[in-house]
Amino acid sequence: MATLPRTRPRNRRLVSRNTVAGWSFILPNFLGFVGLTLLPVVVLFYVAFTNWNVFGVAEWTGTANFRRMWDDASFWTALRNTVYYAVFHIPLTLAAALGLALLLNRKLRGVRFFRTIAFFPYITSIVAIAVVWNQLFSPEYGPINALLGAVGVDNPPGWTASATWSMPAVIIVGTWRYMGYYMLLFLAGLQTIPAQLYEAAETDGASPWQRFVHVTLPGLRHTTFFVTVLLTIESFKVFDLILVMTGGGPGQSTLVLSQYIFQKGFEENQFGYASAVSIVLFAICFGITVIQFMVNKRRNS
Amino acid sequence: MTATDLSTPVPAVVAPGKHGTSARRVRSRGGRLLGYAALVLAAAGLLLPFFWMVVASLKTNNDVFTIPITWLPDPVVWRNYVDIWQRSDMTTWLGNTLLLSVIVTFLQVFTGSFAAYGFARVRFPGRNALFLAYVGTIAVPWQSYMIPQFILMSKLHLSNTLWSIVAIQAFGAVGVFLMKQFYETIPEELSEAARVDGLSEYGIYRRIILPLSRPALASLALLMFTTTWNDYLGPLIYLRSPELRTIQLGLNTFISQYNAEYALIMTGSVLSVLPVAVIFLLGQRYFIEGVASTGLKG
Amino acid sequence: MKRAIPAVISAATALTLVLTGCGGGDEPVDPNAPVTITLAGWSLASTPEFKTLADGFKATHPNVTVELKEYAPGNDYDTQMITDLAAGTAPDVYVMKNLKNFYTYQSGGQLLDVSDAASGLNSPALASYQVDGKAYAVPYRQDSWVLFYNKDLFAKAKVAPPDGSWTWDDYTDAAKRLQTGLKAAGSNATGAYQHTFQSTVQGFALAQTPNADLLSGDFGYLKPYYERSLDLQAAGAQPTFGTAKTNKLTYQAQFGKQQSAMLLMGTWYVATLLNQRQSGDADTFQWGIAPAPQFDKSTTGASATPVTFGDPTGLGINPKINKSKAAAAKDFLKYAAGPEAGKALAGIGITPAQVTDAVTASLFGLDGVPQDDLSKFAFAKHTVKPENPVSKHTAGLQNLLNETHSAILSDSKGVDAELSKAQSRAKNEVLNQ
Repeated sequence: MATLPRTRPRNRRLVSRNTVAGWSFILPNFLGFVGLTLLPVVVLFYVAFTNWNVFGVAEWTGTANFRRMWDDASFWTALRNTVYYAVFHIPLTLAAALGLALLLNRKLRGVRFFRTIAFFPYITSIVAIAVVWNQLFSPEYGPINALLGAVGVDNPPGWTASATWSMPAVIIVGTWRYMGYYMLLFLAGLQTIPAQLYEAAETDGASPWQRFVHVTLPGLRHTTFFVTVLLTIESFKVFDLILVMTGGGPGQSTLVLSQYIFQKGFEENQFGYASAVSIVLFAICFGITVIQFMVNKRRNS
Repeated sequence: MTATDLSTPVPAVVAPGKHGTSARRVRSRGGRLLGYAALVLAAAGLLLPFFWMVVASLKTNNDVFTIPITWLPDPVVWRNYVDIWQRSDMTTWLGNTLLLSVIVTFLQVFTGSFAAYGFARVRFPGRNALFLAYVGTIAVPWQSYMIPQFILMSKLHLSNTLWSIVAIQAFGAVGVFLMKQFYETIPEELSEAARVDGLSEYGIYRRIILPLSRPALASLALLMFTTTWNDYLGPLIYLRSPELRTIQLGLNTFISQYNAEYALIMTGSVLSVLPVAVIFLLGQRYFIEGVASTGLKG
Repeated sequence: MKRAIPAVISAATALTLVLTGCGGGDEPVDPNAPVTITLAGWSLASTPEFKTLADGFKATHPNVTVELKEYAPGNDYDTQMITDLAAGTAPDVYVMKNLKNFYTYQSGGQLLDVSDAASGLNSPALASYQVDGKAYAVPYRQDSWVLFYNKDLFAKAKVAPPDGSWTWDDYTDAAKRLQTGLKAAGSNATGAYQHTFQSTVQGFALAQTPNADLLSGDFGYLKPYYERSLDLQAAGAQPTFGTAKTNKLTYQAQFGKQQSAMLLMGTWYVATLLNQRQSGDADTFQWGIAPAPQFDKSTTGASATPVTFGDPTGLGINPKINKSKAAAAKDFLKYAAGPEAGKALAGIGITPAQVTDAVTASLFGLDGVPQDDLSKFAFAKHTVKPENPVSKHTAGLQNLLNETHSAILSDSKGVDAELSKAQSRAKNEVLNQ
């Protein structure tokens, strides 16, 4: 009791000193962030409640855009497709990226070369990627179906030319393209795990699998969290890959929310409605992110 | 055997413990061969589109898309690699792209890692809410707020300048998030010890944290560099003047309304991938020289 | 509650950042003072039409300089233009690639009333740009869809070439006979190539079918046109939609490299084909153009006027143009849509808005253009209906029909099922807005 009155002012001083220090670190980035990102995003939230057509006047329409969305079958199709893509793309990419990182995190001869190659899908022009994968998937002339035919598959899928198989095709290409990106992050994360931990584990007779579970995974906790959050958001926002691969087709089979937003905004000039759809997309991503944050916090403590 | 320092490859192939050393070596050699075979096969799959790009760049325009796909050019058109320099401003495009990528990467790495330290190591009220706002903006699709952003930049007279691209790319939230996560893996005791020694927060950031986060800084730099290098929509929206074109915008000029010079587009794409690949190859030493080799005892 | 978004942003900007003053007063007008107006164009290096117009205008108006501003090609042109107009940084005069976009710009108040410039002009496409009795743009190009055919391949397959009397059934029949004939002659070429554009089916169906109306939301008129396409795909007489899409086939290569004997395409392809033959990208062979196949016999033959489609390409003026330049810009529009510019455009292989005898002579005077009468007839005589009726709902309906197009041609749910789905979507998602 007697110490309390003395610690409080010190605490307060500490808090204010920390606040000043904290903000001084954040400020250079924060100024740019507020002016160039946050401000337009706030405007977007306002626009979502108007009928803005991009040229000048925006009339306040309340929740009309959101009520319209509720009855808009195309919006639901796009949402369903987006979830379909994300649900498969996230775990596949996560596993592939981690696998690649573990495989390439060693002093093998030529390992730099292989790492560079694993990153190639991410740096190769997206147009070339769409062209090559589409041709590989070509139902009549593509090598993939030729291979499937050779091993006895009677009715090979139509891939990007069929409404049923276009999404699986896009998911495969998406995983192939982005695993190198996330591999890089895992590689950086692996460097933070002290070698002594592995040595200790080996002395204790741990098998490679046990070492992976008890040393590698816990050591990668922070990286995995970052990768999962970023990968989730990027999967829900997937845009250019699908645009060049299938353009959302055939029909609406690969129409995703980002593309729907672009279509409504830039092609049909309904920026108010497009903004409302963006808000929904944002809310979904943000909701999942917050849940991930909470789970992560509990796990850490 | 450790995961960071491996003279023996592929842990799955190496049986744990029980075998004698010679048996282990034999297995290990077989494993090494198998591992290389798998790597080479995987590499072929990863390089296929790039290979196609190279092949397409050696064809004539109307031979690029064929049924079925042709994997070898016939005739081989080397001229494309001469034409692209003579007929276009390839040098300007590459120069602009390089300049932008370097500036954006530098700013993002610098301001991002600086801000991340504030979020990771300094406790102050409102910190978590602010951080969530950062991460939240990653979740907003850019194409939905790019027009308000463009209007804003036009008011600031930044549109149609290279600065506009710097401005929209350099202060992103991804770098802050990445670096914050990374700093959290560095033991708090290190900073505490430094504080006791009288180092200020800035001193801790510069002397302790930065040297320890080289792998993360390197990956952030590489990712930012690549993203800026390959960005299409940003330059498309903000840049108009021919002398400001980036490589991606420049390649677009080979498309006219009723025709496209696909062979030249692919030639340009090959040329634009190479610098990134080289930088990636060189930047890699920073992954391995991480915490493990700086002598830190965690 | 009405508020302009730029105003909201400016207010916010003023609070946080330094705002520089913008805009200036208009200077007094002197008709002979040197004026520079800016004109939007794309792919300037390979698209000579903008320079042709600018130079041609300079010849008669020496005090006016038309400065070209290069924009991105394809749909990116409109993305950039919309952004520039929204921010007030767009050029003085800009192009409307089709009527869908014209509606966007006109209804958004981004086009100056140019009725005075349009009044002296004479071309059928002018009507498309009229809203409430006022003109908001003028047409300078009017491409129309025709049938390109390879005379050598027809001869090789021993099939009689088009004679101007074809209905769609004749076309389908010829494509199949070409297929068999070419195969027998040892060629891999297909009878026809139908590009992946929705226009290749829907444009013709809308223009030719009596009482077809896009805005009615009743798409039954599309059915016979799709059935014929599916029939040709199934018979192997043209590459399937899936193959064309996944192999990213280009119509320039399909026709120019003699992979297909017939190609339905807009008249713009004349100039492209000529250029590609010169550069060696296309083979050299005998070719011709014929009127597009018709809905029925009533519009076929030399004495009738065939019906086809095509949107005009128009020029409009940005209302933010400096007042002292508006008169010069209107003069430029008058010139670009008039007969003088028409002749100059035809000289570089482009179909101007107003096809006169002089225009036809100029185009057919180009080296490599076929000289037969049917080609001249196909170029000069037709009723061209717009692909996109000007309306609030057009963009939404066309997007929806584009999705329907790929669904019908690539999958087996059937034409009826997809069309009825399209109709219910049109009713519930577009026409009720």
